[in-house]
This record gives sequence, C-alpha cells and structure tokens, in this order.
Amino acid sequence: MDDYDKTCLESALVGVCNIVQQEWGGAIPCQVVLVTDGCLGIGRGSLRHSLATHNQRSESNRFPLPFPFPSKLYIMCMANLEELQSTDSLDCLERLIDLNNGEGQIFTIDGPLCLKNVQSMFGKLIDLAYTPFHAILKCGHLTADVQVFPRPEPFVVDEEIDPIPKVINTDLEIVGFIDIADISSPPVLSRHLVLPIALNKEGDEVGTGITDDNEDENSANQIAGKIPNFCVLLHGSLKVEGMVAIVQLGPEWHGMLYSQADSKKKSNLMMSLFEPGPEPLPWLGKMAQLGPISDAKENPYGEDDNKSPFPLQPKNKRSYAQNVTVWIKPSGLQTDVQKILRNARKLPEKTQTFYKELNRLRKAALAFGFLDLLKGVADMLERECTLLPDTAHPDAAFQLTHAAQQLKLASTGTSEYAGYEHNITPLHTDFSGSSAERM
Amino acid sequence: MKIFSESHKTVFVVDHCPYMAESCRQHVEFDMLVKNRTQGIIPLAPISKSLWTCSVESSMEYCRIMYDIFPFKKLVNFIVSDSGAHVLNSWTQEDQNLQELMAALAAVGPPNPRADPECCSILHGLVAAVETLCKITEYQHEARTLLMENAERVGNRGRIICITNAKSDSHVRMLEDCVQETIHEHNKLAANSDHLMQIQKCELVLIHTYAVGEDSLVSDRPKKELSPVLTSEVHSVRAGRHLATKLNILVQQHFDLASTTITNIPMKEEQHANTSANYDVELLHHKDAHVDFLKSGDTHIGGSSREGSFKETITLKWCTPRTNNIELHYCTGAYRISPVDVNSRPSSCLTNFLLNGRSVLLEQPRKSGSKVISHMLSSHGGEIFLHVLSSSRSILEDPPSISEGCGGRVTDYRITDFGEFMRENRLTPFLDPRYKIDGSLEIPLERAKDQLEKHTRYWPMIISQTTIFNMQAVVPLASVIVKESLTEEDVLNCQKTIYNLVDMERKNDPLPISTVGTRGKGPKRDEQYRIMWNELETLVRAHINNSEKHQRVLECLMACRSKPPEEEERKKRGRKREDKEDKSEKAVKDYEQEKSWQDSERLKGILERGKEELAEAEIIKDSPDSPEPPNKKPLVDMDETPPVEKSKGPVSLLSLWSNRINTANSRKHQEFAGRLNSVNNRAELYQHLKEENGMETAENGKASRQ
Repeated sequence: MDDYDKTCLESALVGVCNIVQQEWGGAIPCQVVLVTDGCLGIGRGSLRHSLATHNQRSESNRFPLPFPFPSKLYIMCMANLEELQSTDSLDCLERLIDLNNGEGQIFTIDGPLCLKNVQSMFGKLIDLAYTPFHAILKCGHLTADVQVFPRPEPFVVDEEIDPIPKVINTDLEIVGFIDIADISSPPVLSRHLVLPIALNKEGDEVGTGITDDNEDENSANQIAGKIPNFCVLLHGSLKVEGMVAIVQLGPEWHGMLYSQADSKKKSNLMMSLFEPGPEPLPWLGKMAQLGPISDAKENPYGEDDNKSPFPLQPKNKRSYAQNVTVWIKPSGLQTDVQKILRNARKLPEKTQTFYKELNRLRKAALAFGFLDLLKGVADMLERECTLLPDTAHPDAAFQLTHAAQQLKLASTGTSEYAGYEHNITPLHTDFSGSSAERM
Repeated sequence: MKIFSESHKTVFVVDHCPYMAESCRQHVEFDMLVKNRTQGIIPLAPISKSLWTCSVESSMEYCRIMYDIFPFKKLVNFIVSDSGAHVLNSWTQEDQNLQELMAALAAVGPPNPRADPECCSILHGLVAAVETLCKITEYQHEARTLLMENAERVGNRGRIICITNAKSDSHVRMLEDCVQETIHEHNKLAANSDHLMQIQKCELVLIHTYAVGEDSLVSDRPKKELSPVLTSEVHSVRAGRHLATKLNILVQQHFDLASTTITNIPMKEEQHANTSANYDVELLHHKDAHVDFLKSGDTHIGGSSREGSFKETITLKWCTPRTNNIELHYCTGAYRISPVDVNSRPSSCLTNFLLNGRSVLLEQPRKSGSKVISHMLSSHGGEIFLHVLSSSRSILEDPPSISEGCGGRVTDYRITDFGEFMRENRLTPFLDPRYKIDGSLEIPLERAKDQLEKHTRYWPMIISQTTIFNMQAVVPLASVIVKESLTEEDVLNCQKTIYNLVDMERKNDPLPISTVGTRGKGPKRDEQYRIMWNELETLVRAHINNSEKHQRVLECLMACRSKPPEEEERKKRGRKREDKEDKSEKAVKDYEQEKSWQDSERLKGILERGKEELAEAEIIKDSPDSPEPPNKKPLVDMDETPPVEKSKGPVSLLSLWSNRINTANSRKHQEFAGRLNSVNNRAELYQHLKEENGMETAENGKASRQ
C-alpha cells in the first residue's frame, strides 16, 4: 500500500522526474520548485531514510537526483532559518542541492511565518529564477529592444580547459545572412523566442505590445504596436526570403535568427544558439572567416543566384566517399576479385576498368602485406587466359598474361616491383592502339 | 566534455616480428566461380591471411571508423616494431588519413619470416609509443598558447593499443613493466622540456593474437590500474575476423560510439532492376545521438547486429523522402557517421543516396505504436551526419504571433527591400588570410559587420517613411553610395541619377510621397520634391566620410538640388504672398503654370552645367520670388560666366523689385513654349523629331514598390 498522506520527498522527486521526461524529454532545462514546511517525514520514505540509503541504490531504484535533465532545484521552506537549524533538516535539504550537482538554492523565511514574509520569499525566487532576459538586437544601425525567452543558459565548453561558463551578450549583433538551404538544419544548444519590447525612458519594460485585458496597458501596447519595429521587419524578410540571420552572441559564440511558423497564421522570430567555438558548423567553416560577398572577386552566389559557396568540402574524404578497400569479411575480398574477373572477360573493351580495379587490389594487398593474394589472383588471370574462347580478341590474352606477370612480380615484395605508388599500366600491343580507346 | 582525454592520442604498436608472418589459419575463398562457367574447372585453393595482415587490416578498420566520425582532434600514431621501431606517421593533422597510413604500411611490407627472432621485439615499439605520447600535438600547442598562464590546464593523456603475439602471462607482465618504466623515465625528460609534455594518464590495451585452432597462452584481464599514470588491460583474441570484431568493439568503447540500424531501406535488386527489396544498414556514430533514448528509457532495441558484436543497436525506420522541400528542422545534435560494413551494397547505396544531396527522415518505432520522427540523415559537403530532431514537447507552445507584439500593427514594412538588403549582406567563406594596409590580419567577419554598419546608416523601415527608396530612379545612387569606395563610374552613375531627378522635377513628375496620416491630397508637388531632396541629402551625407568620391556625389547633389536651406524660409514667405495674389486674381490655374515656368527656368541653368562638369558647380540661386528674367540675359556666354555674385549675399532691393515686376508681367501672358523649354535662352527647333526617335527618355518615379 502506498501512503499519500505522509511526507515522502523521494516519491515526489521521482514523480517530477517522470513527468518532466515524458513531457519534455531530457534536453530542456527545468526549474523544480519544492515547497515544504521543512519537515522531512518519518520512517521509511522520509528524506533522512532516503539519504541514508543513497549509497545502496541499484539502477532500478536510482535516487531521482541529479535530475536526468538540466535543472535547478529551488527549495522553498515555510519556516525560518533558526527553526530549520535546530534540527538537521537544513543539512538534509542542502544534501539534496548537492546531489543535484549543486544546481539550486534553498529559500527560508525572514522573520515570523506570515503572508507578507512568505510573499517576500517567493519574490526573491522570482527575482533569481524568473527575471526576463533583455537584450538589444542590432543590425548595423537598425536596433530593437527585445526579450529573449526562455533565458539562455550559461554553457561550459570544456570543463578542463575553460571551466568558466559562457554567458551570452546582451547586445545581439547580426553579422550577416545565409540561406536556409545552406545552413541546413544545424544542431543547436537551445532555441528562444525573440520578442520585441517597448521600453520607457527609465529603461523599464512597458510591455511586449501584446494586447492584454488590462485597460491601461492596452493603450500603451496599442501605441507600441503601431511604432515600426526592426524585429517585425527582420522577421518578415527572413520568412519571405527563406534565410537566417547569423548573430554574434559573444566571443566565438554565434547563433541564428529565423522565422518560425507555429501555424499558418502565427509566426515568430526565433533565435537558436550554436555551440560556442570557432567552428560550430563544419559545413560553414570557421565563423571568423565568413565575410561579405562584396569582398569576393565574383559573387559566390552567382549572378542569377543559382549557386552557393556552401557547404565547404573537407580536405579529406570520408571512407564511404572514397572507395576504400576493406577485406575483413570474405565477401569484401570476393567482390573485389569478381570485379577484376568480370572486366578480364570483357577485354580489350574494358582495359581501363580492368587495370583500375587491378591496381586498387594491388595497393590494398601491399598495404596489408597480403602477398599471397597477389599470387592467387595472378594464377587466376593465367587460368582465364587459357579459357579464352577462339573468338576472343588477341589483345585479351596479351593483357591477361602481362597483368598476371606484374602481380607475380609485386608478390615478391621486392621494392623494385612492389612500390605502393606504382601502377600496372596496360601493355602496348599492336592491337591495343585502337581497342583500348573504345571503352 | 574534454578535448584532451585519452582518445586525443592513440598509438598503435603492431608487432612485425617473424612469427607474425604465420598464417591465421582462417581460409578465404577468393576464386568464386560464376555458375555457368564452373564445368570442368577446379577453383583455386583458398588462401589465408597472416597474423600480420589480420592485425593491420583490423587496425586500419579501427582508424577508418575513427577518422570518419572524428576527422579532427582525434589522432593516431602508427608504430611497427621488429628489430627496431618504425614510426609511420606523426601527430600532425596532414598525416591523419588512411591513404598516408596505407602507403607507409606498404613500404614496411609483411614481416620477414626468415629474420632472426632474437633481434626482434615488440618492446622497441612500446618504448617509441611512450616517447611519441610525450610529443605535443598541434592542438595541445594551440590550446597552451591560447591559455597562456593557464597552459597547465591542457592535459596530456593517451592510449597505446599494442597488437602482438605474447608468449605467456608473465611475458605480458614484462611488457607492462617496461611501459611503466619508460613512462617514468620520459616524464622526467619531459619535465625539463618545452616541446614535450609529461604523460598524465596512459591506457595500455594489450591484444594478444594467435592463429585459429591454437591454444591461447595468455589470459584476458580487465582494466587494472598499475600506477596513477598507467592502466592496462589484456585481450586474448584469435586472429582473423575475431580480431577485427575485437577492434570494432574497442573503437566503440574508446570513442563513446553507438550503433543505429536503418531498416526498411528500399533498394533495387541487382539482378532484377524492376523489383525492390528492403535492406538494413548499420551505422556507427557518437552515442550522444541516442541521448533521448538513453534518458527516457523508451528504447526499442532491434536484434543485436548480425556479426554478433557486443553492442546493442537502435533501429530506426527509413522514411522515403517525398519532397525536396528545404526546411529548418529543430535539431539538437548532429553526429558524423561511419557505416559498419562500408563496402557492402546496401551501405554504399545509402551513402551514395545521401551524398547526392538527399536527406532522409528516420522514424523511431515506439512501443505504443505511435510514429515519431526522431532523426535525420543528411550530408553536408561530402560528410554524412545523423541529426537528432527534437521529438518531445516544445516549451514554446502557442507563442504570441509577431503581429500581436511591438510594431505588429504596422503594415507597410519594406519587406522586399530588406530581403534585397539581406541578399547583399549574405556571407561567404574567405579561406585565405587577407591583410589590411597596416599589415594586420583582416577578419572577414569584422568586414561583414562594417558593411552592415554602412548599409544601415540611413535605412527607413517603412514605406511611408521614405520617398527615395520608393523611386526606381534613385536605385542607381542608393545601391552604390553605401559602398566603402566608389569607382569613377559609380560617381558618374550617381551624378546621372541626380540629373535625372532634376529632370523629373523640371517635368513635374509626381513622386511616390506617402499620404498616410495627412489630410487631403498631401503636400504640394514642390514640397514633395523638397522632401525627396532632403532625404537624398541625408542618405548621401551619411556616407561622405567614406571617401573623397562620396564627397563629390554630395557636392553634385548640393549643386543640383532645388533649395539651399537658407532660402527655404524665404521661399515659404514668398509663396504666402503669391497665394494672396492668386486669390485676389482668382487664377489658381495660373499659379500652376507659373510654377512650371519657374521650374523650367530654374532647371535650364542646372542642366546646362550638369552636362559639363558638375563637381565644380556652385550653388544655384533660385527662388520663386526671383525667377531669372528670360529676356534679361540673352547672352550667349552665360554658362561661361556663372552669376557668382548672385549666388551669395543678400538680394538687392532693385533686383527684388524688378523680379517682382517681371513676375507680375509674366503672369499676364502665356509664355512662349520655345522660351519655356529653352536652354540658356536658346530654344532648340524641331525637338519633336528627336522625341519621335526615342532619344529623350525619362524615368518616372514608381508609385509603390509592391
């Protein structure tokens, strides 16, 4: 039987854990607010018991902390510090924060327990955890005051080399634009709504311009709605052109602004953050090396906007793009030998392909020190030679014999014949002049 | 995440001693006879790989997967050991590819079975491996330089993978001791050196390999800490495919890889091109691509991969792409992939499909039966990435539309113009370093910011805030004036634009002035032109400091524009007076006529001079109060003696009076058409001939840009 009428913080945390993961997955930061009177429960299921057995957990009944998603745990105690310190309650609650990798904070009531003091405690939480992130979006001289929601989280790039978390600038500076096809669904750390806001002279937020039920705010918001705002212009053009704006968030940290459609009617200006670093997207290259097209000798997008300088090609091709030789499975080797054999039977038409495949096999066999294979294939080619039909082109026999001979020489492993860069070239015969060109 | 973890540096030490030339005793049939030719022919005897061949091809496969998934910052140093150590490459990035390694291995060749076994040892290679681990990589060097006083944060860890044929467990122990000893010695050396680094952590992976059918003389041992610096593990593996499988498992462990099997890939059959069957392809990638599965526990694990590797693989279903729509997906990670079986037909079909530029969405089968698109395969510049798409609920559900917020009610944003602006400010990579005049390195991204700054110095956001950007006639000037420097041709084009505007004004062409927020018909025509000239001046003035040529454009503009600022006031006063007269004479039409007459008067001088050298042109005196009397100066050489004194200083009482009389007189009769259109009081006859030939073309301001 489960008791639901007693304090059992562990079950509550497990519940939070499950709900958040089902609903939001494991990547979305979540603030968990635990409101408690500071009593930890009694017996089994009490926090003391949970913590005491913390080291004896198996995978199946893992303690819910640290949460398996980015989190902050705020513990709101309906008790003042002195009360909590009189028992070990505070220590236990602090253990919880520690277990959540130090992410979170404990709030207590200043003075006696009354509505006013409770309100002031929650006021502190709001100030700490729910202050909106205000920034200025800039594109040259075009600017707009914006709120970025949710607040961008600080990010640690490499805990060893650079353990200080990076925080984004409050000046979000657009550095240029890129077509959506070129940026190509890049991986991002997080994404945020960019909401234009109207500020009064003191720099306080007047409103987001969103019509509210409140009468007074309404008029202010309506005025704000009618003042041209750069965000709206930018959003409209990004949407129409199918482009994104690259925005600088800090030193070696960039993101992108784009139009995100929620439905057919509703769409919004969004900002996604790339991972900090000089080259967040390999297909764009180093961010610092991106410059204006006007500096290029000719427009890299073409006069008719029919080409693009992206994606950048890496220096070395990956194995799947360069026809590597892998003979770990017998089928790999057999396929390569078959290819040679198939072309051997179509000599002299397939002379070029025959030698290409032959040289590919030769190179791999030399690198792997698999000289027996060279001998084997040489034998096979000699046999093929004897099996040639009477109707065969006379050049076929010459090429097969020549190839077999060359492979045999390579199989001796002597540097003279077994050079890796050396290629077996077709034998020049009286017949080959015309026939080899025919393929 | 740590850049300089153990997997930053991997040293392969492969035994090249005579016994490695022995056969692995696993036969490979290579002579697969085609069915219809088998009669009477006995296939050639199968061959077998040597221990060396097995070791080399397995380690190459390890490197292939590693290079595919981590082309940078994960480095391999390959060492071959016999009577000495042969170091086949260095830590430099240029040496980090399969071709280099294959070429170097070919140069070494297979072990010589007739060499003296007494001279040969794996120890040479292990010593060289420790030595090479102390050598700094370019990444470590770069990080140290960057961190300056915090250079000690840059770690030096590494892994030695040693493939050998050991004699016994005690032989293995001896090898471990040797590595331990060598690290100790070399760390002492490195402590006193600037270009060597002490080894903080070394993982020794000893792989004892032996021919199939033999008994292993060495026992497996899991990872064990031999000292704070050295850990060691021992694997005893049969050669051939067993060794390859072992190294495949190791590469996955060492580089935190995971496996995904793409199922249901439709593929044309080789033999029957019109039929298609479904295939599976297994890919390796960093395990973070599975992060959502691991955390949520909703894993749907397909059967373990066919070769019986230790790993579980996650099955994702191929979704045939229907459109080629370019969409911006919400992607939380992108990881390079490597096919497990790179040369198999299904693998190469899949990779070629992707390399040709198509993307494939992958569906995650869920227990509940619901379908969720969780991943996407896509290539960028010849590299294939597995993108993780967010499939959980968004916290940004139902956000307010941008049209409901600040500036959302404004309907005449210059969306198309800003689109054009964005195209002009697109980015492109500049791979070769460029230098400024002072020799310092020029950062292209800073250039991009500079350009944005220039292009936005005057950029009205809405159509009703601007006149000039609604006029096609201004485009040639507006598009070049924002440039950092102008060519002579640019200047000429700007001047032409200005003359053209002057011409429009003379012809009294309507301007696309917004009437939003004004009552009635909006400003009068001359007021419209005044607004237009002011705006154009604002634009040009914003750029005069760019170059001397920008200055010249402004000079031309100031020379040509109708109203020097100090005369604005007088003009207004004058008009009021005229208005009164007009009312008294009740001749509103006449006013318009007078206007056009004045315009033409004002223009003729300007045009004349404009056609010559405009840059030197002076301020033109012009006021509705004082139109130049047409008959007053019938001099031929008028343009050569510019009325300097007129342009400066106060107007004399006499000229004011005579102008007034002239104006009054002129209103009493209709001006001759010839005089009206004359230039320097010389009227060109038979003008219509020219016009009919289409010589005179003038652009009209376009009313609206949309």
